[in-house]
Amino acid sequence: MVWIGVISMILAALIFPGITAIIKAKVGGRKAPPLLQPVYDVVRLFKKGAVYSATTGLIFRIAPLVYFASVVAVLLLIPFGGQKGILSFAGDFVFFAYLLALGKFMMIVAAMDTGSGFEGMGANREALYSMLVEPAFFILMGSLALFAGSISFYDLYLSLHIQTHLSYLTAVTAIYVLAYIAMVENSRLPVDDPKTHLELTMVHEVMVLDYSGFDLALINISNWLKFSIFGTLIANFLLPFYLPHYAQILLFFLIQFGFATVVGGLESFRARNKMAKNPQFIITLSAIAILVFLTALIITEKFSLN
Amino acid sequence: MTYFFIIIYSITLVYFALSERVKKFIVLLAIQGVLLFGIVFFNLGQVALGEFLFVLVETIVVKSVVIPIFLNKVRRNNGLKRVHETEIPVFYSIIVVTVMLMGSFFVSNYLHNEQIHTKFFTVAIASVFFGIYFIIIHKNVFSHLVGYLIIENGIFLLSLAVGSEIPMLVNFAVLLDVLMGVLVIGIFMNRVSDRFQSTSIDELAKLKD
Amino acid sequence: MLEYYFLLALAISGLMILFKNRTFNQVACTLFALLQIGVVVFAYLHAKETDALYFKYDMLGILLTAVLSILTPITFYHSYLYLQRYSPEIGRQSIYWAALVILITAMTGAYFAENVALLWVCIEVTTLCVTVLVFHDRSKTSLEASWKYLFISSVGVAIAFMGILFLTAVSVESGPKSLNFTDLIANAHTMNATWIKIAFILVLTGFSIKLSIFPLFAAAIDAKTVAPSPANALLSSALVSVGFVGIFRFYAIIAHTDADLWARNVLMITGLISIFLAAVQLFRVKRFTRMYALSTMEHAGIICLALFAGGIGYYAAVLHVVLHSFVKAGLFYQLGQSNYIYKSIWIKDSGAYFKINPLGALVVMLGFFSIVAIPPSGLFVTEFLIFKTLFLQKHYLISIVALILLTAILFQIARFLFHLLFEKNPEQLHDTDFNINKAENIAPFLLFVLAAYLGYSPPGFFVNMINSAIAIIQ
Repeated sequence: MVWIGVISMILAALIFPGITAIIKAKVGGRKAPPLLQPVYDVVRLFKKGAVYSATTGLIFRIAPLVYFASVVAVLLLIPFGGQKGILSFAGDFVFFAYLLALGKFMMIVAAMDTGSGFEGMGANREALYSMLVEPAFFILMGSLALFAGSISFYDLYLSLHIQTHLSYLTAVTAIYVLAYIAMVENSRLPVDDPKTHLELTMVHEVMVLDYSGFDLALINISNWLKFSIFGTLIANFLLPFYLPHYAQILLFFLIQFGFATVVGGLESFRARNKMAKNPQFIITLSAIAILVFLTALIITEKFSLN
Repeated sequence: MTYFFIIIYSITLVYFALSERVKKFIVLLAIQGVLLFGIVFFNLGQVALGEFLFVLVETIVVKSVVIPIFLNKVRRNNGLKRVHETEIPVFYSIIVVTVMLMGSFFVSNYLHNEQIHTKFFTVAIASVFFGIYFIIIHKNVFSHLVGYLIIENGIFLLSLAVGSEIPMLVNFAVLLDVLMGVLVIGIFMNRVSDRFQSTSIDELAKLKD
Repeated sequence: MLEYYFLLALAISGLMILFKNRTFNQVACTLFALLQIGVVVFAYLHAKETDALYFKYDMLGILLTAVLSILTPITFYHSYLYLQRYSPEIGRQSIYWAALVILITAMTGAYFAENVALLWVCIEVTTLCVTVLVFHDRSKTSLEASWKYLFISSVGVAIAFMGILFLTAVSVESGPKSLNFTDLIANAHTMNATWIKIAFILVLTGFSIKLSIFPLFAAAIDAKTVAPSPANALLSSALVSVGFVGIFRFYAIIAHTDADLWARNVLMITGLISIFLAAVQLFRVKRFTRMYALSTMEHAGIICLALFAGGIGYYAAVLHVVLHSFVKAGLFYQLGQSNYIYKSIWIKDSGAYFKINPLGALVVMLGFFSIVAIPPSGLFVTEFLIFKTLFLQKHYLISIVALILLTAILFQIARFLFHLLFEKNPEQLHDTDFNINKAENIAPFLLFVLAAYLGYSPPGFFVNMINSAIAIIQ
């Protein structure tokens, strides 16, 4: 079951970008690409060699590998369907966050390494957004930990299924916040637009401009995996753990599909925020996470209110 | 269930800080009216019909129907769309409102007063302070009215918190007074924008000697 | 009984707006002035009785209503003159009258209100009426002033309501469920001091706009700068009394708790800051109305100091409120005349008043002595009593600072009024350019004399009224 979880997540990661692309094409009135088109693209990229700029150094070359490795390691931490992750220990969600941060850090440093002004700018923005989104994630996880009285992913999710009105509210808000954290972490709308063609308005895309071939393929796969990981985090809020395994796996794919659809729909209908508005958008997530935290204090009766 | 509404109410406060569209302010005020009704409704014990009707009129009818419709009329009259004039970037406003909410939650935690229902206190204090803050940072008369209404909502919650013993007749007079006040403020706002071709308070600074 | 009064007043003002008829306005106002006097008589005969559920005829209320009833017919007469001189369209005139009537009614209600929340309601109604009155001439400045007054007053009064709610919390804690001042005062000693302190601060902040003291004085000053002078006479006298009643009644509650000394210190600080700010602002005023408004602020500050002094200071405070009402109202009636003559409220446009309008100038001169409390004035007595009490209690620093500030204020007011009286005629006006009825000067003159009389040899029943008004504190 544990390995089934990881395999499901990888499968979900493979189809996730395809679904999003299909939704966007349908909404835009275009002919939809095949579901696995992004996979074909990556396979094609794997067959190509990489070209490196003369100004870049070692960091630039190892960054995609570190990024990929960190995301794969994160994959092992995620609990699935009421089971522990392959690696599960107290405080693993902190490890989770900083593994992701490590990958991101390498990408940022690599972007600086190229010496391109555009890439430096993109790195700057990426760093800012990651920094702003971090408190939201930790406050959210902290409030869940308060429920659970434990600080590992597995317990957090188990304890959430206390049936009160407020825990529904927390779950909904937590899903909302997590979904947007996923969008920020993956550099999608409304913070960043992956389709933009102007370097000045790019965030994540501009950082990877200099990568090609094998490295670019790794980066793409890592991005999909990240989406799938956050999708799993959300799915864990919704999955009823008492169902049989096959039903849970089916539900899991349904939820991932739903998440991909929402992302696709959002990207079709919504415009990207103005750059200057991004920080306030992201800090709002933290504000709402704090409210979740206060709710947790009320539910666990750490607050003595009458 | 009360907490459910209280938490959603505090989320609306965050969105007040976030949004810059006048229309959104009005929608948020209407939502707050409904939330207030929810808060009261789940707190009425064995309730007299008269009291229930009064609460219904005060929250649903006045706070979330009459006032928003009136505000919308004022908004359309003055062609207001966005509020550009905030003196402090939204980013900091969100931090401020969050700090206010946390502060007022923690204050009510440490209150320990038998007579005061501290669960309302949490968001009431935040609402009043945020209303004042809202008035200070905006330089537009319409937003000032919105801030006033946020304060009023906070005071409504406060009256729940202290379990006010104000007689019904007087309560009704208070409601009528507030409503009249809002209407008169709205009418004067129309006058201001007709006269000064703007709703910015920068225009209103000729009286200094 | 009082409910019929309210209904009648509402009917009168409603009909005035409906009919838009000049003769009807005059008849209705005369009726209302008589009604107002009737209320005072009725209240005096039924002293200490409860009426209309939430009202009570206590002595402070009767006293201040009596002052208001004396000012009402005079204000109506001068309003009539004012409207005749500037003759706006009849609709605006009717609105003016209606707002004035409602304002007087609401102020009467505020004086007599026994329920805390009802006092709040009456005060909020006065805000709306004052806004309409300030907006009377429909100019940009009047719009600005009325907007500011309306908004700041609404917010301030909302803050005061918070104070009332906190008071409810402590009153419920200590037993009685009612929010009547009598019950609250009787149970004050059982109340939690912290909460009542918060309540007092909030109420003081909220009602400060009515009493025109620090912190919310600015909007009140602006409103009085542009309001029509007859309305201004009420805003600077009776409305200040409304603020005083609000704060005095809350102070009466807190005076029975452990927080008494604390509350008095708060009042002292507010009073001193108000006097100081009034003195500073007086150095750059350019309009007579604003000068008088700042002078009101100064006197309100003195009243706060009187409450701080305690003892005989309470007596002086109430007396000061009454006498100041007469004097300031008289000055504003006279100001209406000089504004009409110079067609301006700006100090720079005035001059040679003694040549142009000798009788009016004499009234201004008398008013000047009265307002700055130079001996023939009744205010001298009260200020003397206040500072004597302060000195006896060894508050030397406070009284000396206050006296220095008062001297500066005296100097400034003298400078501006002497500019009006003795400076050379700015536009070579002649007394043929305008039409002044000499009888207009009778009322202000009588008011000044009345103030002096009440100050120096107050009749026995008057002293008794004040003493029983302040009995609730001791």
